[in-house]
Amino acid sequence: MCEHVVKRFYHYEHRTTSLRELFTRVVRRRPVSVRRAEFSLVDFNLCVERGEAVALVGSNGSGKSTALRLMAGVYAPTEGRVWTRGRLGAVIELGVGFHPELTGAENVALYAAVMGLSRHESRERFPEITAFAEIGDFIDEPVKYYSSGMQARLAFAVAVCVRPDILLLDEVLAVGDRSFRERCFDFLEGFRARGGTMIIVTHDADSVRRLCSRAVWMEHGRVRMIGPVERVMDAYGDVGSAGQ
Amino acid sequence: MGAPVSALAPTVRGWHTPAEMWRYREMLRSLVVRNLKVKYQRSLLGFLWTLLNPILTLAVLATVFSIVVRIPVPQYWAFLVSGYFCWNFVMQVIGAGPFLIAEHAPLRRSIAFPGEVLVLGAALARLVEFGAEMFIALVALIVFRHHGIPLSFVTLPVLVLLLLLLAVGLMMPVATLAVFYHDVQHALPIVLLILFYVSPVFYPARMVPAALRGIYLLNPIARLLTLFQTVLYDGRMPSAAAFANLFLIAIPVCLVGYAIFARYQAVFAEIV
Repeated sequence: MCEHVVKRFYHYEHRTTSLRELFTRVVRRRPVSVRRAEFSLVDFNLCVERGEAVALVGSNGSGKSTALRLMAGVYAPTEGRVWTRGRLGAVIELGVGFHPELTGAENVALYAAVMGLSRHESRERFPEITAFAEIGDFIDEPVKYYSSGMQARLAFAVAVCVRPDILLLDEVLAVGDRSFRERCFDFLEGFRARGGTMIIVTHDADSVRRLCSRAVWMEHGRVRMIGPVERVMDAYGDVGSAGQ
Repeated sequence: MGAPVSALAPTVRGWHTPAEMWRYREMLRSLVVRNLKVKYQRSLLGFLWTLLNPILTLAVLATVFSIVVRIPVPQYWAFLVSGYFCWNFVMQVIGAGPFLIAEHAPLRRSIAFPGEVLVLGAALARLVEFGAEMFIALVALIVFRHHGIPLSFVTLPVLVLLLLLLAVGLMMPVATLAVFYHDVQHALPIVLLILFYVSPVFYPARMVPAALRGIYLLNPIARLLTLFQTVLYDGRMPSAAAFANLFLIAIPVCLVGYAIFARYQAVFAEIV
């Protein structure tokens, strides 16, 4: 019921080199130098209280999405621990892992099932999802024929339909068109008002300021700055414009 | 920060208790339906393929091995039917292994769920097809071979349990290995082809020279097929020892397979 997230983990070892390469090198007696650990998150600490909205900002490859995946429980931390309490709804990859051959409706059913919704519940919420995603008759077409915007809309609609306590959003707001974005904003503001917690990753400073109370500025897998949204975004914006 | 441990959401872990798995029953159900649907989508004959494919293969095998190469077994077709579907099940379940994690990579990278559900989803979808095949096989055997229902048929559920344990137990290491090495998907068809010849699918195990039979029966699939043939073709009740024997192989195979899968499944999302 209540939700209180404490995440503490130190670094996360990302294996970018394939192990097959390692294998062939061993066989061919070449130097085995490939298995170096790359840290995409180092000593990351973040404690999010229930009802808070936190933004993760930073340049590409700074570890924002990795952090989000750790919170979603998709990645395991190498060290440290990640705790979440409450039901998670995550839109991490475009299309929440939709299967391209299945129709939108079938994918919705599968996602709802993964999230532990009963068949009855998912059928009940189905109209709500299609309405929110504004997907129309396309809901019965295979997802591979969807535009990226449609996928993003459906993904968002599905993720929120499971009534999560915590929402993890990765660059969702960047894909939809203006009217969808507005509806997302409306929804997310309502979600926060109802006590929902959210953590979003985005490059869009406006949505960060509008939705979040706190921001984390990440750089090279480390937290560069953490604090009230205005202060962090101002500092981040300064560096961003200075860099250009 | 004294958060009660019981309320914490599952982070990535290798092992899952049956109670945890039970929460994913709805996912399993929809995966099974989905696996069957995707397979036959946009094919005119749909589910019929599941029957047509093995029946055509059976027809070829039956023709070759009763007319060209003569296997000295009366009512050869009945013998073939008794073991072939079992073999087909094992082959298809193991054969699904290399693609199991890769196919669900997007889902794996977006939501946390036990990978065991994928394994069971693939196996149970195949089991549905196996059920359809067996139904036809049983009818044919009852009508044309035994002219009645032999008592030995009551052991079929046990045989199917053994079949599941073995197939799933062998598939999990294959699926795990395939995440790390793409070589698996190239090597596996060769391994399965060899396995086909060293298993009593189209010939009875008793044709194997006695000197080699000890080694031959190290292959658990050979034992399982023989058991299926005893029950279905001979219509004889197998000895309790034969069952016990196979359980003593199948359970460890399954546990070791699961241990390997559980050991590595936390990193699947990072690699695929």
